[in-house]
Amino acid sequence: MALAPSLHSLVHSTAVTILQHDLPGLPEVVTQEVATFTVRRLGVLATHMRLGVAAIALFVRLFASIAGQPRLLWLSKTHLPLLGEYFRLIRSLSYAYIWEKWPDTRSDGSPA
Amino acid sequence: MNSVQQIWDDANESKMSCEVLIIGSGAGGSPTAALLAEAGFDVLVVEEGRWVEQGTVAPFSLDQMEQQYRGGGVTVALGLPSIAYTEGRCAGGGTEVNSGLYRRPPTEVVERWRDRWDVRDLDPDELMKTATEVETDIHVTHLPGPASVPSQLLRQGADALGWKHDESPRWMTYPDGNPRHGQRQSMTRTYLPRAAKAGARILTQCRVNKINISHAKATSADVSLANGQAGTISFKFVFVCGGAIQTPAILQRSGLRKNIGQTLAIHPTVKLSARFADAINVPDDVPVHQVKEFAPDLSFGGSASHAGLIALSLLDQWSDFKGAIEDWRNMAVYYAAITSEGRGRVMSVPGLVDPVVTYRLTARDRELLRSGLSRLSLLMLEAGATEVYPSFRGAPIIRGRKDLALAQKRFSVNKASVMTVHLCSTVPLGENRQLCGAGSYGLVHETKNVYVNDASLLPDAPGVNPQASVMAIAVRNARHFIAQEKPHA
Repeated sequence: MALAPSLHSLVHSTAVTILQHDLPGLPEVVTQEVATFTVRRLGVLATHMRLGVAAIALFVRLFASIAGQPRLLWLSKTHLPLLGEYFRLIRSLSYAYIWEKWPDTRSDGSPA
Repeated sequence: MNSVQQIWDDANESKMSCEVLIIGSGAGGSPTAALLAEAGFDVLVVEEGRWVEQGTVAPFSLDQMEQQYRGGGVTVALGLPSIAYTEGRCAGGGTEVNSGLYRRPPTEVVERWRDRWDVRDLDPDELMKTATEVETDIHVTHLPGPASVPSQLLRQGADALGWKHDESPRWMTYPDGNPRHGQRQSMTRTYLPRAAKAGARILTQCRVNKINISHAKATSADVSLANGQAGTISFKFVFVCGGAIQTPAILQRSGLRKNIGQTLAIHPTVKLSARFADAINVPDDVPVHQVKEFAPDLSFGGSASHAGLIALSLLDQWSDFKGAIEDWRNMAVYYAAITSEGRGRVMSVPGLVDPVVTYRLTARDRELLRSGLSRLSLLMLEAGATEVYPSFRGAPIIRGRKDLALAQKRFSVNKASVMTVHLCSTVPLGENRQLCGAGSYGLVHETKNVYVNDASLLPDAPGVNPQASVMAIAVRNARHFIAQEKPHA
């Protein structure tokens, strides 16, 4: 749990960027709520997974700050080991939360 | 349960003692606690998770994962591919959160365990008698009425193909006779109250960090209590029943490593979503029918399927599959599970709270998963699915038999979402010292009073839901312990 604050700063904006791209109809307030949920759940992962996520998240943030947001989205679609699993983890938690909480959400994220 | 509740609410001392410490309250620990307490032992059960009353969280929900699963339900065996698994972390362990399906171990599996691992006195007939007792205790029964539609679809598909199938019984009661209103007879409803009634103390939110062992004899356990305080529990005997991941981790942290945590066995599983013309989704339950035509190598069944889980199943090829999510009421998730020849490891690493888990699939496992997903797709088409969405990157939508070859060609296990809920065999029992971490009744080799009594003991994956095997062996071992230590009990 000690890593939770740093995880938040590292992951939250990435999660928001991915959600805004994948689900453009998702209301902004919902996007923020989903990203917050995702970061919170990453904070209770097993120790080694949390450390791994934090390391990859740091790399991704550095990459995004240098290469820009479009490149981050490109990166999020790669399927490299670990890196691909990091983005998949963000999407898994986010999508599961969205459709469990609002099951009638449309495929673009807009409310039914 | 109020009388039980009082015990752990009051247990905030830093030092406790007991005659028998039982670490973990799942399918192994709870029956052990009940039998030993009833035999007159002074029993203390410690459980890392919380006591969560049934009905207070929605089954298979994210809320349940947060409250009752380790790591919020996100735990992974590293490898290529990494395999997601789940562990219960609450009073009652996995019995509180699993599907409640029950399968006795096949006789040939028990014979294999006895012969290959040299398990003394493991008589299949005797074990089945013990299983019968367990079935009475936890009310194993079939549905009192028709199965849910997703379950019936499995049966219909199998019938159309001439494949063997059956209804798996569950440990449930149906107070009003309605098959939709089952109440799971998990450990918090059965063996834990029984243990408490016989005098056992049950302490939740208490994590065992290490067992202190000197000259092969364990004397105490270092624990972390719910309030963050460190504590010590002294005992005469200890039973480690934390499940196939935590049990070897605790033993390793305590300095016991020989044949501990090196032979993790699982049933790897791949999934798909099937879409039908009509509404079929049942958000809060799982199908009871299973297709056993290719068992024990390969089995098919149904998974939890609320909208969030349907979205997850579509995630790997979201760009093509996303439109289906709006029709989730017409969809359900199904799985193909294999009996794997691969093995994994559980490694406790100094400085890390949680163990590192790895698993390696064999070439045969990979091929079996490929053919399993293809056959499951065919099964769903025969059940009347209009579209099938396999859960792997690059998967096509399958609308007819003609699409199966393409799906099979594109499939690679490394692109798939592989997961498992059955974990076992990390401290196999038996007299074969080359293979086994514990003796024929669970006494850890080279110790005098450290026992294991949970899924870790199963020599390999049984090819069916392992809970019946775990419970029958736990009862067998507990009775042997009582006969040894209190022959007049």
